[in-house]
Amino acid sequence: MPYIYSIIKADYLQRTRSYAFLITLAVTVYVAYLFVPPTSASYTTLSTVGFKSVYNSAWVGYISATMTAVMLSFYGFLLVNNSIRRDIDTEVGLIIAAMPVSNFKYLLGKQLSNYAVLCTIAGCTFVVSILMFLVRGAGYPFVLAHFVLPYLFFVLPAMFLVASLAVVAEVFLGKRSILQFILYFFLCGACMAAINKPGNHLSSGIFDPFGLSLVTSSVKNQVNAQYHQHIEQVSFGFIFNKRQPFKTFVWNGISWTSLFVFSRLLWMSFALGLVYLSSFFFHRFDFSNGVRKKKKQKDLIQKKEGFSMMPSGISRASMPPVNFDYSMFPFIKTELLLLVRQGNKWLWLLNIGLSLSMLFAPLTVASSYLLPALWFLQVTRWSDLVTKEKSNRVHYFTYAAYKPLQRMLPAQIIAGFLLAIGLSLPLILRYVIALNGLAILNIVAGALLVVLLAVSTGILSGGKKLFEVFFFLLTYMLINKLPAADYLGVMPQHHTLVYTSVLVSIVFLLAMISFVARSYQTKHL
Amino acid sequence: MALEIKGLTKQYNAAKIGLSNYSITIDKGILGLLGPNGAGKSTLMKIIATISQPTSGTLFLDGVDIVSNPNFIRKVLGYLPQDFGVYPNLNAYEFLEYIAAMKGVGGKGLRRRIDMLLEGVNLTADAKKPIGTYSGGMKQRVGIAQALLNDPKVLIFDEPTVGLDPEERVRFRQLITEMANDCIIILSSHIVSDIETIADEVAIMQGGKLVTKGYPNQIIEQANGQIFEVLLENTDVAAFKTRYQVIDTGRHDARTRVRFINPDNSAIPEAKPIDASLEDAYLLLTQNKA
Repeated sequence: MPYIYSIIKADYLQRTRSYAFLITLAVTVYVAYLFVPPTSASYTTLSTVGFKSVYNSAWVGYISATMTAVMLSFYGFLLVNNSIRRDIDTEVGLIIAAMPVSNFKYLLGKQLSNYAVLCTIAGCTFVVSILMFLVRGAGYPFVLAHFVLPYLFFVLPAMFLVASLAVVAEVFLGKRSILQFILYFFLCGACMAAINKPGNHLSSGIFDPFGLSLVTSSVKNQVNAQYHQHIEQVSFGFIFNKRQPFKTFVWNGISWTSLFVFSRLLWMSFALGLVYLSSFFFHRFDFSNGVRKKKKQKDLIQKKEGFSMMPSGISRASMPPVNFDYSMFPFIKTELLLLVRQGNKWLWLLNIGLSLSMLFAPLTVASSYLLPALWFLQVTRWSDLVTKEKSNRVHYFTYAAYKPLQRMLPAQIIAGFLLAIGLSLPLILRYVIALNGLAILNIVAGALLVVLLAVSTGILSGGKKLFEVFFFLLTYMLINKLPAADYLGVMPQHHTLVYTSVLVSIVFLLAMISFVARSYQTKHL
Repeated sequence: MALEIKGLTKQYNAAKIGLSNYSITIDKGILGLLGPNGAGKSTLMKIIATISQPTSGTLFLDGVDIVSNPNFIRKVLGYLPQDFGVYPNLNAYEFLEYIAAMKGVGGKGLRRRIDMLLEGVNLTADAKKPIGTYSGGMKQRVGIAQALLNDPKVLIFDEPTVGLDPEERVRFRQLITEMANDCIIILSSHIVSDIETIADEVAIMQGGKLVTKGYPNQIIEQANGQIFEVLLENTDVAAFKTRYQVIDTGRHDARTRVRFINPDNSAIPEAKPIDASLEDAYLLLTQNKA
């Protein structure tokens, strides 16, 4: 046990003692504030068409817990799926591998530290939910159990599962972060869709890992009973509707059954079982049994280690004279090369497939769904753009380069931008044919905005996670049609030059922040 | 060509000082930096390499202030940091091209130059393989090659022989001896013998300050007459260590031969004075300043 405790403690402190984590908490507080919208807002977070609940403590507590379980299940995975990778990168793993700690105990330590991080964030939303009740409660009595119980039975078991899945994904998919994201989101998305599906029969909630169907079916039953309706669907998430008249209903929470509580324990046991099973496949930081081809290559190189530097050494006199060339082109070329080579090469088939599909899909689908999804698939490439120097310890060279600020940083931004534009070409082509210059301008501004968001958050936080979480939330909210998240200007009300100017202004602001922060960094290593 | 450093101070926070009012003039040739961990060697090198700014003080290269004009030295700088990394997805050739771009080196001669450097560090056969598959020694050789890409006039090597096998260390020493004719080379190492063999001058640092600077024989001279050797019973060694600073011990005919510093030249039965080495002088000088 002391091993596990030490692993959990060290890992938890390592992750939470960072500006990136503080910013994540700040974003979480803001998102938790959005969970409980005012009645006049143009969106709801749990709704059925034409009906809204009064803001009593049950509604505020459950809605906050439900949304925390949903949102944190998605972006929480992004936050915690690098605990083993960090041990590989820092080579702490090699020390751990030589310790008597078993694979299972090590992975359990990682799972529990993931869980501790997620619970810390959930703790913030819990506090915000109580504050939101005080703000929006409209005189209803405060019942603490309406806040504590949904967090206890929805959020905590769900986070336990997310923490386990992050470990399992790392064991089986290693450094293939984007593949982990895709599979996880597919799994999570399918799960949420099953809960959201009209007429689903998961009213007991035991087969639902998040337990949310218990809430949706209870709300449905309440509305149907109070207004003698036959509504089939209750939706959750950020849902934007045109303002329309609605009736209010009073919902007093759900009755917890021992079967449901037992099912939470079963889900947590299942999560623990997954970690246990994956421990049999854990590499324990020994990568010598990798792909045979790679092994052969390594062996070959190690054999050649017998030779050392040539006896002749390096003769300066015989070398061609140095020609100075301060252009940015070689940088852009190498940065593009690094972007393209990052990640699994087979995923390029998915990128190309999605990109080409924008030629044939309806224009709205292509611009509102396919392009954001395609760009999100590049999240690990862009998050690596300005953080790779430090993670690969190349920053000693780059900061000592000739005019790093005027040459290197612009080259990185241009390379990231070219990747975004390259992938968007089919859509741009359609806009060219349609002579829609503003839409093209919006894509260009959107590409710059995403790249500069990656650059600025990467420089400021020194890590990738902040951008990955930001970009996930941005993509999620754009796909859910949150107007404030429309960084591509795809919503009809944003087809104006004024909106494009706003995007361009944000681009300039982010660029300024990036250059000022990088300028400071290059002088203060 | 000369690098003039005057009153250089680097204060990280109220409790941590990297360099304290450090002044030194470095001319063409090889300057070896010696000092215990935390002496300020890497801080000094980072400031000269312009990746860290001093809190106060000046640095002039050929009369040009490089604190306010860092690009002046960057054009002629070759820097091999202690703890550098590489992009594992690039091969050695691509990585050197990238570094060349950082240094502003291009043109037709670049390919030939990279080829020759790779040949010089014996990486031609593996030049097209990802650096991620290289061993530690091979990565170190890539690091050495990158430092030489721009025909540097100021070369900074922070612990350059780490990871190199004995044969490679010999080659490296030959290489920089050859380079030293027309440029400034600043070299730090914990391996005193490396410094002793190749450095024209040696600077010993401690606690962010310069303890001494001079030719190796001048520094060794400061220790002569204070280094002694004695044969002790094994059981007496522990007690002896409490009274004298022991530099080295070795087994000899079931007894222990002890090399130690005897600054007072106090009378010890059977102890005899011996010729000092640079390592002895280094230990003596850093002990005195501790």
